[in-house]
Amino acid sequence: MVAVVTAFSRVAEPESQCIARALRRRDSEFIGRMVSRYHYRLFRYLVYWTSNREHAEDLVQETWLRVLERAGQYNGRLRFEPWLFSIARNLAIDHLRKQQTATARHRMCPEDEAGLNLPAPDFESPFFAAARSEDAKRIAAALGALEPIYREALLLRFQEELSLAEIAQVAGAPISTVSSRIHRGLSMLQATLGGGADAA
Amino acid sequence: MPLENHERARFLLHRSLVEGISLEDRHWLDAHVGQCAECGRYADLSARAVRALDWFALELDPAAALRVENVVRSRAEGMRSAEAHAKSLWIGTGVAIFLTFTGSAVTWRPLAWLASQWNLPSRVWQIVFAAFWFLPSLLLALLPLFRRRLLGEDSDSKGQTV
Repeated sequence: MVAVVTAFSRVAEPESQCIARALRRRDSEFIGRMVSRYHYRLFRYLVYWTSNREHAEDLVQETWLRVLERAGQYNGRLRFEPWLFSIARNLAIDHLRKQQTATARHRMCPEDEAGLNLPAPDFESPFFAAARSEDAKRIAAALGALEPIYREALLLRFQEELSLAEIAQVAGAPISTVSSRIHRGLSMLQATLGGGADAA
Repeated sequence: MPLENHERARFLLHRSLVEGISLEDRHWLDAHVGQCAECGRYADLSARAVRALDWFALELDPAAALRVENVVRSRAEGMRSAEAHAKSLWIGTGVAIFLTFTGSAVTWRPLAWLASQWNLPSRVWQIVFAAFWFLPSLLLALLPLFRRRLLGEDSDSKGQTV
């Protein structure tokens, strides 16, 4: 009976708690499956930040190693994705800061990432190559003009489908800021699509 | 049509995409967008912008994905074995310290008796006891904890090559 109850509680256990337990136990099998499962999403998120496939691939690995180091900080009460993305975000920002010292081409980033100068995005590569339609190609060009924080907000809301509160957790920003970032990002994309439609 | 209706429509359109709106607002918005060409176009552009984001499909390098998975697995296994080693080390140290104290307590009385038989001053035999029994066994008990530092190794697995 006890075994049945235990087995049932295991089945009913939220996924986030399974992940937290596996991370604490350094369950390499489970962690390997998680790496595989989240690889594309993490890679896409980091491409949105860095605009560079190679850097994103390196950062995916760094993110998982950081996840292992900080496994004790994840208690499984909240969803895993925001925690994972917030680690990836910090690494991406560190990476961009390092890049900033090596490049003269940069722009000031607004809002609360004050002082973080981001490199001019190289949008010929990852996004344009990934655009599957005319609209997407126009959007790819528009994304190139957006600061990474706006791209991030759009990605997390519309592709990762995180709630505003979860995006705020990832970005370390108030919900109102996140909402305005999404609004601004969407407005720029709309303007691009509208311009393209007008031109056509 | 009053200007504030268009502003409200755009506000609700944004809100419906970002966090959702009430049924009542949805009905109002649908009715307005149905009547207003400009707001209808704005709604269409919003929907197209969101849909276009979905159409990005980045190509993954399967070899890179596998490489990351292997590196992370191997690091997880390394950390697990390092943690198991550290755990056993702490347990062993705890047991050794316990035995040092209990052993010292057990030996104390016979040594005191011997010292009294040989007329040794208590201060002398107590110093001898501390120097040749208690302190060496305590140091031996603690030695494994400092082994890595003494050998110049990293105390954690961060330095492992992956």
